[in-house]
Amino acid sequence: MRTNRVTAAVVSIALLGATLEPLFRKPWDDSFPLSTYAMFAFKQPTKLTMEYAFGVTASGERHTLTPQIVGSGEVLQALTVIARAKAQNELPRLCAQIASRVADLGRYADVTEIRIVSGTHDAVDYLVRHVEGTELPRISCKVNR
Amino acid sequence: MNGKRANSAMPGGPLGRIADWWFLPAPAERLAAVRILVGTFALCWVCGRLMETYAVAQLGRSHWMPTGVIDILGAPLPPALVLVIAFVTCVLIVCFTLGVQYRYTAPLAAAGVLWTLSYRNSFGMIFHTENLLVLHMIALACAPAADAWAIDRAPERPPEAGYGWILKLLAAVTAATYLMAGIAKLRIAGVAWLDGEQLRNQIAVDNLRKALLGDSIAPLATPFLDHPSGFTVFSVMTIGLELAAPIVLFLPRLARLWALGAWGFHVGVVLLMNIWFPYPLIGLAYLPLLRAERPLAWVVARWRRWRSRGNVPPIAPG
Repeated sequence: MRTNRVTAAVVSIALLGATLEPLFRKPWDDSFPLSTYAMFAFKQPTKLTMEYAFGVTASGERHTLTPQIVGSGEVLQALTVIARAKAQNELPRLCAQIASRVADLGRYADVTEIRIVSGTHDAVDYLVRHVEGTELPRISCKVNR
Repeated sequence: MNGKRANSAMPGGPLGRIADWWFLPAPAERLAAVRILVGTFALCWVCGRLMETYAVAQLGRSHWMPTGVIDILGAPLPPALVLVIAFVTCVLIVCFTLGVQYRYTAPLAAAGVLWTLSYRNSFGMIFHTENLLVLHMIALACAPAADAWAIDRAPERPPEAGYGWILKLLAAVTAATYLMAGIAKLRIAGVAWLDGEQLRNQIAVDNLRKALLGDSIAPLATPFLDHPSGFTVFSVMTIGLELAAPIVLFLPRLARLWALGAWGFHVGVVLLMNIWFPYPLIGLAYLPLLRAERPLAWVVARWRRWRSRGNVPPIAPG
């Protein structure tokens, strides 16, 4: 590749310009790979309501499920999977999918039921003072082995 | 040599001085080292996530939120095709890294990485851990980064523009991403972001999500959430570091100090949020600021010495 100075200057200006272009967008108008990098900039209350799934054993003991079982190894993408399923009235299907994945995993051998709930917790209370908020059941389904 | 050429190509005056600075020479080996290290990382990143990419592609239309170049698609691709594209991208990255037919394979590898990672980001969640890798791959693909330490034969003479400009461009892109993160905070929250409350809340909520969704919470999150005054210091340091990023272009000595600070910032993100930015954590984001050829030159010298002892038949010329 025999780059001359004009080509190099054009490439430099184009790529740097593209990287800086999101400055002219609204901060929440994110994209990839040209991002506004506003992910930690928004005001966020510590009280959070979100949907999540967990397993329950025959004796009623609760088991946390890894994000992979929900549909993605990434926590935030797993969260989106549940939120989307709820918005599109597909929670029964998602619950069945989770139950099917759990049934194949030995480490969840004692889990007999999957529950998806909508929980409201204060993050600082939950993490520091171990005070749990409220949970509203959305759906539950049996794990068939 | 290049400096003289700069003066002859661009006469004096501000533009000429900018050109002299931008096209300051650098060894071909430095750029080659960046190509090899960034390529190796890209290979591990894309190949290591093949099955994850496939799993995400199976989420289907209901989770489809195309971003970036994927906007050209009207609907998700069949998951098997996504997997094939990702696999071909891995092969192209190998060629990129080794410098095989670089002129053709490098742009294709960069396009493949852009496509594959954009596709993975098109299902409701944009991962900011991958942006800089893609931008650096694109920049390297536009440059003669395989003029040294490559399978391709080295050119008889260096390119007119030299090799320094692309290292400067890579550093500028790195700096721009940090600067924009700082500007975004000031645009949205203003100086109120500095009081630490917003950072504390972000860290608390992120760790709560992890706890509820079965991921590990960060090791230092709980102790610091219990003592929130520390977040004011973290906030000021974060904004200061982000807004100071452009110094990497103008003050080479301070640039390395800045890189150390930025690396420390990412370590802090791991300890407080358990969010891993592997590209800067390994140091690759800051590679254009360093003499990246030195460790690889040592490896290459050892390899050549070992080969000259007759352990490996010499590669046939041509």
